[in-house]
Formats: sequence, structure tokens, C-alpha cells
Amino acid sequence: MEDAVRAVDLSKTYGTGLAAVKALDHVTLTIARGTVAALLGPSGSGKSTLIKALGFVSPADTGEVFFEGRLVVKHGVPLADLAALRRRHLGFVFQKANLTSFLTARENVEIACEFGGKSDGRRRARELLEYLDVAGREHSYPEMLSGGEQQRVAIARALANEPSLILADEPTAALDSVRSRSVMELFRKVAHDRGAAVLVVTHDHRALEVFDVLYEMEDGRIRPHRPERSGLTAEQ
Amino acid sequence: MNLALRDVRRHLARFVGTAAGLGLLLSVVVAMQGIYAGMVDDATILTRAMHADLWLVQRDTRGPFAEGSRLDPSVEARAAAVPGVRTARPYTYQLIQREHRGAVMRIALVGLGWPDDPGRSLPLVRGRRLQQPHGEMIVDASLGLGIGEPLVLAGEQYRVVGLTRNALTSGGDSVAFMTVGDAELVAFDQPPEAALLERQRVVERLRRTDLGRGQPALEDLATDPRWRAPALASPPVAAVLVEADPHRIAEVRGVMRSWGDVSVYSQAEEEELLLVGVVQRARMQIGLFTVILTLTAAVIIMMVMYNLTLEKTHDLAVLKLMGAPRLRLLGLVLQQAWLLGAMGYAVAFAMGELAFPMFPRRVLITETISLVAPVATMGIVTLASILGLTHVMRIDPSIALEG
Ligand SMILES: Nc1ncnc2c1ncn2[C@@H]1O[C@H](COP(=O)(O)OP(=O)(O)O)[C@@H](O)[C@H]1O
Ligand SMILES: [Mg+2]
Repeated sequence: MEDAVRAVDLSKTYGTGLAAVKALDHVTLTIARGTVAALLGPSGSGKSTLIKALGFVSPADTGEVFFEGRLVVKHGVPLADLAALRRRHLGFVFQKANLTSFLTARENVEIACEFGGKSDGRRRARELLEYLDVAGREHSYPEMLSGGEQQRVAIARALANEPSLILADEPTAALDSVRSRSVMELFRKVAHDRGAAVLVVTHDHRALEVFDVLYEMEDGRIRPHRPERSGLTAEQ
Repeated sequence: MNLALRDVRRHLARFVGTAAGLGLLLSVVVAMQGIYAGMVDDATILTRAMHADLWLVQRDTRGPFAEGSRLDPSVEARAAAVPGVRTARPYTYQLIQREHRGAVMRIALVGLGWPDDPGRSLPLVRGRRLQQPHGEMIVDASLGLGIGEPLVLAGEQYRVVGLTRNALTSGGDSVAFMTVGDAELVAFDQPPEAALLERQRVVERLRRTDLGRGQPALEDLATDPRWRAPALASPPVAAVLVEADPHRIAEVRGVMRSWGDVSVYSQAEEEELLLVGVVQRARMQIGLFTVILTLTAAVIIMMVMYNLTLEKTHDLAVLKLMGAPRLRLLGLVLQQAWLLGAMGYAVAFAMGELAFPMFPRRVLITETISLVAPVATMGIVTLASILGLTHVMRIDPSIALEG
């Protein structure tokens, strides 16, 4: 399937001298449309840094990022309007839902449609909320919604512009395991139904079978993740 | 979707509260500036209302407002005879405090030169000018008297025939205009007791002189209430107001300056005497306070607006991460600031309309104030929100990721 995003040889260092931290160390990664990938790894291993680089939020120092086959960032220098790219083709889901506090659930989705240049934002927003099973809360403000509901609205918002790439950084950290699993399944559904590429950072090893691909990071380096039990049996 | 309005709708109570607070603060600043302007204007308004080119006062005094001035009434005729002079009229000025209908009433009595000046130059808002030499007065509306209302002064009844607006002294007291003759009656009014004692003294003085001892009939004369010594001068006036041909003012002034008993001031100089003398300290006091208050308010408004923007840091970071165009974020902050500024100004305006007329002294909202105040308010809120926004925009949108 077509590549949504391809990162080639990304490196990034925070700080200088003795305080320097190599957060990304020659990371190369491709995520195809229609796949849902998990990014595992201990805290501080560089997962969020990678998400920010792939999401054109803060670029890596070196390396290249291709978006739908087009070179967009080269050695930290943007070659396109990154904000425009974000609002039209990307969807973000964060650890906390981070909905806009003064907009209702529906308006939160609608504003994303508007930024993305979609004309029928209101109708789309209703559809998406229905798709995510929170249609009943469309007039509620974020603070009146439960954590799970907020996260669903946030996912609806991420889907607003039929993005080719959805990036989620620990989206279920604030949810219990049942809700957390249903959110992960939602991501899978979105990837498979809508042909988006989805990359989810997660610590939760209980729902890994939901994902098509698993990656693992450690000290800024990335490698495919092999589930421990299966890894052990394969080795022996 | 208008983000500014959505935010206002969500936090309506807080927004309205902020607007009200801002409005009250603004109205205090505007009131203070109005009080200052009113005070400066009051100081010279009476002088201006007289429409004189030259003020003749007692030699070496700064009269008649800054200090007392006594001028021989003959100055009027002498001034009128100077070539180039169109009119010369006497003028008296004195402050009285009486009770009327149970309330204390301070009045500045101004005597107008009858019949030349029945109140020609006075800006009447109701009623008419003086029509007879005795018993009529024009008063300022701020005294609260109505047309036709009688007022007893020095045992005589005076009737209000006309009302002026804003005829006030530098001290903020209301002015009443009557003929010079009436004003003198009030000024030199003597209680009967004082008159008796005065006559008694004359009799005693007579008895000590040869003339008195030789002609006892003089005593009867001195104690007769209808009698007045022919040698006694008619009472002095405070000033003589001169109007001259516009191109001959300097010449007229030159002539009068050579007279030994008068000092001559132009209209502007007379106003200057009041501003740098009479109200100088009060003016500096209020002026300084006005400046400090204005600066304080500006700083407070800026801080409020700045913080209002900073409070939105997280929401703005999320929107920025989603790729919101810069203009949308700028619009959100600025529209809200302007709305707040406009509402604040509206509150200040309403407060002004309601409260300022109830102030005991005039709160003069000059054209400059009414023009500069809203512009300055909008400028300050705009500046503060832009400062806040540049601060917010420097923030890395990825903070939204961490939540
Ligand atoms: N803004 C930053 N400044 C300095 N160091 C940072 C910054 N962000 C992350 N780091 C460091 O980079 C490394 C990777 O961080 P991060 O990508 O957040 O890891 P993860 O999301 O896997 O926990 C960590 O050692 C972290 O301390
Ligand atoms: Mg992280």
C-alpha cells in the first residue's frame, strides 16, 4: 500500500556538551496507509521526539521526511508550509484529550474541518461523533465529558480532514484498560476503514494484537518489536 | 466559526465581569480627567463670559478675582472717553453665603453695568436678560432656583428672570448677575443697629469739633436716616470692563496704563492670573493625580489583557499544533480584546452619563477626552494582547502533546 510518511535517517540531539541527549539516533521508518503501528519503548527513549518529527511539529536535526512521497523536511529545514500540511493531512491525538476548552464537542471537530478547508464541517462533525459513538454529547463542553468521551472526541477531531497520517502519543494513558482497548480498536478501525496510516505510542502491552506493526525504541534507536514470549520461543 | 465569540460565550460571566471592571476603571480615569478639565475651565469661564477686551482694576492689584480690587467709579467715565473705546462698564464681584429654603447657598454676586449691560454676553439657557435697574437677577442653573423665584438679599426681594449654564467661579460657586446698583446694595447693606451706632459716632465727632459745638442743628442732620453726607463718595467698583475697536486695543491700553490709579489686563492676562494664581495649586494637585491615575489604569488594563491572553496558552498551543492559520489565532485574541475594550468603554460612557451630572462640581468631558479615551483604550488593549500573543506564539506547540 502507498506510504503515508517515510522518515530516513533522522537524528536529533537536545542540549550540547555534557548535557547533550541523543533523542533520535539514525531513525528510519515507513508507515503505509491502511496500517496501524504501535511504538513501544521505555520512558525517555525518544518516542515523543519521533512523533513530533513525523508530525512536522519540531523537526529532527538531520535526516529527511517524505510525506506521501514528497520530500517535506530535509536536515531540519522545512520545504513546505508545515502548518498547512498539519491542518489538511494530519491528525493528532494526545495523552490528554486536549480539546479546545471553550468549544463544544461538535465545535471541536468542526473547527478542525474548517482549518482543513472542508466546507460541510458541521455535518462532518456530526457524522464523526456518531462514528465514534459520542453523538449524544455533541453540545457538551470538554470538561463535562468523561476521559473516554474526551478521547473519542479528540479522535473524531483527528479524523476531521480524512488525514493520511494520524499520530497518537500515549492516547490511553488516562484511561482504564477496557476503554483503552476500545480506543486502540478504534484506531485499527480508522486505519482499515479509512485507509489512514496510524502510529500510536503506547506503554500498554495488553492490546498489542490490535496493531499491524510493532516498533520499539530505546536510547533514540528504533527496531521492530518482537513480543517477549514469542521471541523466546523463536530463539529456542 | 468565530473563536472569540465562542470563548466569550463559554466564559460569559467572567468576561462580563472583566468588562465591567475595566469600564469602572475607565470611568474613574475619565471622571478624573473631566474633573481636571472642568476645574481649569471653571477657573476662567466667568472671565470669558464677560466678553471684555480690557479689564481695568485697582492699581497694582491682580483683581477682581485673584484679590480684592476697589476702583473709583469715575474710571468708567474716563475709560469711555478714551478714543477707540466702544463701551466701558462697571463690574463688581463679591461672594456671599446665605440660606435659602433651608439649604446653604454660596453665590458669587456679579454686578453688571446698567443700562449698558443687561447681561448681553451671558449664555442664557432660559428666561431673559435684566429689564429693570432694580430687583431682578440672572442666576446660574446650578443654584437650583427657578424662573420667577424670589430671593431675599439685604432685606429686599430679588426675582430670578434668567438662567445661565456653567457660570461659575474658580472655586466652583454659582454666579448670580444683577445690576451694579443692586450688587452694591447687597454689598454695603448695614443692619439698623450698625447704622445707629455709625450715626452716634458722627454726633460724638461733631461734638468734639468747634463746628459741631457752634451749630447743634448739624446733629439733627447727622442722625436723620434720609441724610447722606454729600462729600461721601459713591461706593467703589471692582473693575471696569472695556470693549475697544479690535485694531485699537493696544493704543487704548497704552493710554489707560498711564493712569495712576489702574492696572490694565487683557482678557488673556486676566485668565492667566486665575490659572497661575488662584487655582494653581489645586490644578497641579489634581493634574498630577490625574496623570498617575491614568498611568496606573493603563498598566492595570495592560496586565489584565496580557493575562487574559496568557490564560489561553494551552488552547492556543493546541490550535497551533492542529495547524491553525496565524491570523485565526491573532483574530481570536484581538477580537476579544476589542470587544472587551468596547464594552468597557460603553460601561464607562454609561457611568459618565449617569454619575457625572451628580458631581457637585463640573466634570467637563472635553472633545479631546471623548476622542482620545476610546482610541487610547483600544490602543492599550490591542498592544497588550499582541504582546501576550507574541509570548504565546513563541511557545513550542508541542507542549500540547505533553498535556
Ligand atoms: N525539549 C527538550 N529539551 C531537552 N531534552 C529533551 C526535550 N524533550 C525531550 N528531551 C529528552 O530527550 C529524550 C527523549 O525524550 P522523549 O522523546 O520525550 O521520550 P519519550 O517520549 O520516549 O518518553 C529524553 O531523554 C528527554 O529527557
Ligand atoms: Mg513521551
